[in-house]
Amino acid sequence: MVADIGVDSEDTICAETPEMRRIVIEFEKIHLNFYDRSVIKNLSLKINQGDKVVISGKSGCGKSSMLSLVLGFITPCEGKVFFNGAGVDEKTVWDVRKRIAYIDQDTSLGPGTVHDLLAFVSGLKINAHLNFAVDDLMKLFELKREIIQKNIKELSGGERQRLGIVIAVLLNRDVFFLDEITASLDKHLKRKVADFFLKRENWTCVIVSHDPVWTENSAVRVFDFEEKKWKH
Amino acid sequence: METLDIPVISLSVAFLLLIIPVAISFRYGLKLVTPLFVSVVRMSVQLALIGVFLKYLFIWNNPFVNIAWLTIMIVVAVFASVRSSSIKISRIFIPAFISFFVATASVVFYLNTFVIPLDNIFDARYLIVLGGMLLGNSLRGNIVGISTFYRQLKIDSNHYLYVLSLGASHQEALLPYFRESVQLALRPTLASMATMGIVTLPGMMTGVILGGASPEVAIKYQILIMIAIVVSTITSVVLTILFTMRVCIDRFGVLRADVFRSGKQVSDNWLLKGWRSLVIQSGIRKR
Repeated sequence: MVADIGVDSEDTICAETPEMRRIVIEFEKIHLNFYDRSVIKNLSLKINQGDKVVISGKSGCGKSSMLSLVLGFITPCEGKVFFNGAGVDEKTVWDVRKRIAYIDQDTSLGPGTVHDLLAFVSGLKINAHLNFAVDDLMKLFELKREIIQKNIKELSGGERQRLGIVIAVLLNRDVFFLDEITASLDKHLKRKVADFFLKRENWTCVIVSHDPVWTENSAVRVFDFEEKKWKH
Repeated sequence: METLDIPVISLSVAFLLLIIPVAISFRYGLKLVTPLFVSVVRMSVQLALIGVFLKYLFIWNNPFVNIAWLTIMIVVAVFASVRSSSIKISRIFIPAFISFFVATASVVFYLNTFVIPLDNIFDARYLIVLGGMLLGNSLRGNIVGISTFYRQLKIDSNHYLYVLSLGASHQEALLPYFRESVQLALRPTLASMATMGIVTLPGMMTGVILGGASPEVAIKYQILIMIAIVVSTITSVVLTILFTMRVCIDRFGVLRADVFRSGKQVSDNWLLKGWRSLVIQSGIRKR
């Protein structure tokens, strides 16, 4: 992810038609309860490679839980979650997490400095050209270079949000879980972030958001989580 | 040099000193009178009983009885250290017991075999006394270590899960909490060692001198016991955290809610906060 990070750059065109694309994520008859409360009821959904899917629904209806099912942070009471054709279980989940970049509205980036966090991410050996990409990405998302030495807690909500996005992109993954990531951003940055992700055809993006900036794009499919059906 | 015995009447005079903390408690409304009374009574009764028990233990000096008594001491230490954390004792008793036993027994037998050295490494005067000394310190270290580790992990669960979501192994994600807990657990012991002889005259040294030994002998024993304490404390804290992690953290790397005494209530609160909180509850479901 060193080159080609600009929002205006041309992406490679995916030669496959949607029908030909492989299924990246599949939810098969998922039921999820917390104590006596049913959070997800009979969810079946397939997300193909390169799909840009917005999950819509009321707050607290279980949209975000759906993402954590794939990450293995919760397991369904019934049904099965598949990632790249393999069931998500205690053995496969560690590889699944290495394939997905997750960002949420209130990502807890940790107690140290931005530099500490970037060094930690670097230590995970996920991107050999981390330093170069960091500068470019920070510039792209309008983060000042000086914040590197700052404590993460000193950053504003919007800065933390964009830093989370920078790190997610640095991870060099092609599946993105974007959970209300534009909530703390102004209109101009919302547009910039949405364009950045939506323009990359090979990236699979599962977006939980109420923000119209995502759904305005014709490439985006909207899944109504409460009705369990595609809106468009 | 003979140790001067203290008549029981004279010992009771020592209790008069307790008027001072009682007065302070009343003056400032500290509400410490009841806990102070309970602690003093428990301490006195326990020591009186153990005095009688040790007398016979030393007379019998049977290896099996000595090991059995050391085991009982470890069981009590495990209960005391786990009780201070929010984890259910039933879930981590065995891993914590193994940690304490390995840390204490290995150091005591090393001292008895190679340092002192004894013909009978199960000798009650050494096995029980040294074991008790080490266990007392391991207990203090583990109270801090276990509590800090799991409390920080719960408080910081959002960040922990974020690190897991980056693709970190659970060892990588847990390492900062592990480091902090072990460092905190060791800090009192290290501070005590650093000021020993200047600020503090430790209990064992005082006891050995009062028991009639020369200060030179007392100092040798004190150095030996301090090294043993730091080794057994760090070993027991590290092993307890490592062993209990296998029970408290599931195979997905997520902290199990059902190992905590207040797990349900806490999880209910988390439930209201969103998915990051929901995930903590994975432990309540069947895998």
